[in-house]
Amino acid sequence: MNKLIMITSVALTLTLVAGCTNKSVVRYGDANAVETTNIEFGSTDLQKVAGEMTDSLLVSPVIGTLTANSRPILFVESIKNKTSEHIDTESITDSISTKLLRSGKFRFVDMSRVAAARKQLDYQQNSGMVDPSKAMQFGKQVGAQYMLYGNLASIVKTNKDQSDVYYKFTLRLMDLESGLIEWADETEIRKTKEKEFVSW
Amino acid sequence: MIKLPEVQSISWSITKKSTRLRVTLTAALTVGLLIGGCKNVPPVTSGVGTDQMAPGQKFEKHLQVDNPDLGKKLHISDIRSRKNNSLLELNLSLTSTYKKTQHLQYQFTWFDADGFVIEAGKSPWQPLELNGMQTASLPGLAPTPQVATFKIYVREVAEQYFKFAD
Repeated sequence: MNKLIMITSVALTLTLVAGCTNKSVVRYGDANAVETTNIEFGSTDLQKVAGEMTDSLLVSPVIGTLTANSRPILFVESIKNKTSEHIDTESITDSISTKLLRSGKFRFVDMSRVAAARKQLDYQQNSGMVDPSKAMQFGKQVGAQYMLYGNLASIVKTNKDQSDVYYKFTLRLMDLESGLIEWADETEIRKTKEKEFVSW
Repeated sequence: MIKLPEVQSISWSITKKSTRLRVTLTAALTVGLLIGGCKNVPPVTSGVGTDQMAPGQKFEKHLQVDNPDLGKKLHISDIRSRKNNSLLELNLSLTSTYKKTQHLQYQFTWFDADGFVIEAGKSPWQPLELNGMQTASLPGLAPTPQVATFKIYVREVAEQYFKFAD
């Protein structure tokens, strides 16, 4: 009997020491898989918001008419972050504009790089280094016809057992000449986090 | 006067029995722990879905169940498709045959006429909370007009906990 107890306790100790060592391991994961590390705005939320907005814009009947014979020129104004978190909203608009551009139905002008483009044109025109017949001309850029802009808002509630966050993302497309909103849509995300009472 | 030793002997035998039981239980638990180990379990990433199919084809012929456990809890009940603004639009109906809520993710993969993946690695998994016995209609839109065939896959949200291996 004593032997059995001794063997058991030795085995238990061995298991605890050997089996449950905590090693940190680095792995490559799937950038597209659903990520549930914590409740904050994450990659899945960004992909969901960008994907749903792009899909909604691309199948809307108004856009069907607008893109039937031409590729409208858009510019993306910023997405206002009205949440309590720090969220890189430019990353959302980047995803949306990339998807729209790759669909082949729209063209974009990038207002965030105007200064760099002006500097380059200035160099080509005025530095005396570039062959004047091959230098790009000032005043030939095409103006945007539509403006894409939006808001990201959140409502956060917590109590001692669970936290709940609700995100609402609104996107609008404005005709710059007439000021009319040609298209608008919103998408929502709800995430909850509950305390686990029993866990391994 | 005669009964006392008898009572004593009975209680002694009970104590002996419970000690033996305790030792056996501990030993069984130890063996279980030794076999099971205590480690990070790789998440279950197999699920149910379709193989590569063209719009208009009968989806029943393309269904595949890689994870029979998940296959018992849900099934693809319908796949519809149409062209919208020259883009292929899908409607996937997913029916739960399980009474509890399931936390799932689904993905569409798009192929062109030559069978090449369009926008490889850029089709995100969409999270889905499927309530008990619910049928959910999930939209999918092709990223470009060149899409000819598609593939659908549904799996559980991989939660990697520090737990005993199965």
